[in-house]
Amino acid sequence: MSALKGLLIIETAERVAGEYAAKLLADFGAEVIKVERPGGAPTRRMGPFKNGESAVFAYLNTNKKSVVLDLDQPEDRARLDQLLARANALIDDHDETWGEAHALSYPAVSTSHPQLVHCIITAFGQGAPQAWQRARPINVINAGGWAYHSPSETTADKPPLKGAGRFLPDYESGIDAALCVLASLHRQRQTGQGQFIDISEVEVQVNRIDCVLDRMLAGDVEPSAERTAYDMGGPGTSFACRDGHIYIFMTTKAHWQGLCGLMGDPDWTKTFREDWLEFDCTRENVTRFRQHFSDWIVGQEKIPITEAAQKVGVAMVPVNTAADLPLNEQFIHRGFFQQVEHPAFGAVTYPTVSYRMSATPVRIETTAPALGADNEVLGGVNAHS
Amino acid sequence: MPIPDRGGPLSGVRVLELTKVWAGPYAGKMLAHLGAEVIKLESATNLDEMRAYGGVDINSAPYFLSINQEILSVQVNMKTDEGLDLVRSMVAESDIVIDNIRPGAMERSQLDYENLRKVKPDIIHVSIKMWGTDGPLGYQTGYAPCFASLSGLTALVGHEGETPKGMNIRYGDSTAGACAALAAIAALHHRERTGEGQFIDLSAVETMTSLVGDSLFAYSVTGEIPRPDGNFHPEMCPHGAYPCADGEWVSIAVADDAEWQALCRVLNASALANDPRFATLKRRLANRHALDRAIGDRTFGETAADLADRLRQAGVPAFRSQSSIDLCSDDHLWTRESFRMVTDHRNGSRPIIGPSWRMKPDQAMIERGAPLLGEHNDYVYKEILGLPQERLDDLIARKIVD
Repeated sequence: MSALKGLLIIETAERVAGEYAAKLLADFGAEVIKVERPGGAPTRRMGPFKNGESAVFAYLNTNKKSVVLDLDQPEDRARLDQLLARANALIDDHDETWGEAHALSYPAVSTSHPQLVHCIITAFGQGAPQAWQRARPINVINAGGWAYHSPSETTADKPPLKGAGRFLPDYESGIDAALCVLASLHRQRQTGQGQFIDISEVEVQVNRIDCVLDRMLAGDVEPSAERTAYDMGGPGTSFACRDGHIYIFMTTKAHWQGLCGLMGDPDWTKTFREDWLEFDCTRENVTRFRQHFSDWIVGQEKIPITEAAQKVGVAMVPVNTAADLPLNEQFIHRGFFQQVEHPAFGAVTYPTVSYRMSATPVRIETTAPALGADNEVLGGVNAHS
Repeated sequence: MPIPDRGGPLSGVRVLELTKVWAGPYAGKMLAHLGAEVIKLESATNLDEMRAYGGVDINSAPYFLSINQEILSVQVNMKTDEGLDLVRSMVAESDIVIDNIRPGAMERSQLDYENLRKVKPDIIHVSIKMWGTDGPLGYQTGYAPCFASLSGLTALVGHEGETPKGMNIRYGDSTAGACAALAAIAALHHRERTGEGQFIDLSAVETMTSLVGDSLFAYSVTGEIPRPDGNFHPEMCPHGAYPCADGEWVSIAVADDAEWQALCRVLNASALANDPRFATLKRRLANRHALDRAIGDRTFGETAADLADRLRQAGVPAFRSQSSIDLCSDDHLWTRESFRMVTDHRNGSRPIIGPSWRMKPDQAMIERGAPLLGEHNDYVYKEILGLPQERLDDLIARKIVD
């Protein structure tokens, strides 16, 4: 049983943000028809590749169908209208100029398909200057503030970072887009009416830091040009250990006492007040602590030492790598990774979703479609079949 | 006093939240900003820490005000059996329950899903925990940077060749809340079609893991373990943040040779444009450290916003790397009402960070700031549960409503 059974979503998106939003809905069980240009979606050409297939495309398009339409051609554009006439929602991530050129702007779609939920994801939202529309994920995460403030404690001479992987802001935007589409489809069930949803990727970035940035906006805290403006202070950070890295977070006397015990109460710990984390957490003490702690932790192995730390109430954890996760007992217990036979890759492991649903568990039922694999849903003769 | 109908796509949906700090309240906020009626269960003797941080007055604590707009607050002491009975009565009148309290706490109060469904058979219960509700590590609790580290995300974020420091320490809670809201509404669709509710067990660690999904999948396909890679992009070069005047930075992403030539023109760098080391994407990638230095030498004297503007006009995707003060004074964000005003009990009004979406027609109104503790006791107890005033007075006197 799947949560969104019976809903039909059309995807004209051609970037990761929109494809991920539609993937989230497809993985919940909606029927998602991906509209690809002749030659295929741009994400089919993103590496890495194996046996000629893109891993990025394979990841982003599970549980979807594929049809090929050349939206520059009137006959194919008319075929899209036939799909939209029986669909519940349309997900797009093109800029406004493209939408106007293809009669897929908000005014055009709300007139021709008033029952449709229509979501467009753009970097800065509808109405942004035309020159801003071509923004890539690194531009979005820099415009939205997370790059400037990541990692914590970055010094002024080091560049802001793009985040994890290539597509972090796209995934964040995809989540908000999928949420809004589902909320609007709830309204469609009640009223039979469509709605237009305008998602700004930069505003997703800004919203995710609400409880830090809003206090600055309201004047509770001074905003600044400091790279550390989002930081919390304290000794928490990553450290190298013998076989990788660990992360430690400490704020209380109990954390400190637990750690001292774990290290065997070395003499240097006695030069700190036992409540230093709460009442004497100066920059100098943090630096001094880190020097001593680095010397000790570098000789430890990440799994045994973090397990021992958890048992004494110290929030020390391994910095898990891609290779660690499929072996992690909690990930195994929850079934987060799903083994699937992919036609080009063979047996591969898909990361799934963070929500285990008791009645409608999310499953990868089908791998990403071949180009135009579902052209028959268009009915009649297709120019590109 | 009736609560005004704010409209929006989730109008008519009622959510109860037993949440603290950030991830749970953020989920409630997103649903409220979509029009749901979201009621936060609170108690003076078991406060959300966010009402205490950074201020003495629990009704004007900045952290709390920054998240909980359009949330209703009802007081109930859940350490009493009578209080728990009142909670169950509220559950019976709700569609969705969200919690992010300590592992085992809902079970101890007999408010776990199996008990909730006895009260309301089609209830949707979303529970947010660091590692989910059960399993060998389910007992562990942690803070956002811990679950980012456990998730595989931190391992990918760092300057090249250095210890992976991860995203800013604040990253993680809000995204977990957003995924909780998403799954809750998916479950609402299932309920509307079939009449069946369900339990949603969310792992904040796995939320972070899903944000590096393509990297983990690529590892499964190719066997190559992804590393912290600074601003490296295998298909764009140059791709990074480059130093400008006054400590500012500009992000630049060049996907093809035309954009590369345009970048060189804007930087007046014909020497770079003609340098064979940088002639093709493949060569730029092979010589990217030299390339990054050469570009940095030419951006260094520029004003970030001006340079980014000239680059965009020339067709090169670029944007200033924005600090907190840049964001707070960003005209576009204010004009688009990303930043907007809500009512505030202390000062009359307060700016908040509005949702990332706009909807037409029927957008939910977002006008009221975070609630006073117990501000909506009358509404919940008298209008929803139908209790007479004397009964409410008695509950208050005996600190069942505290």
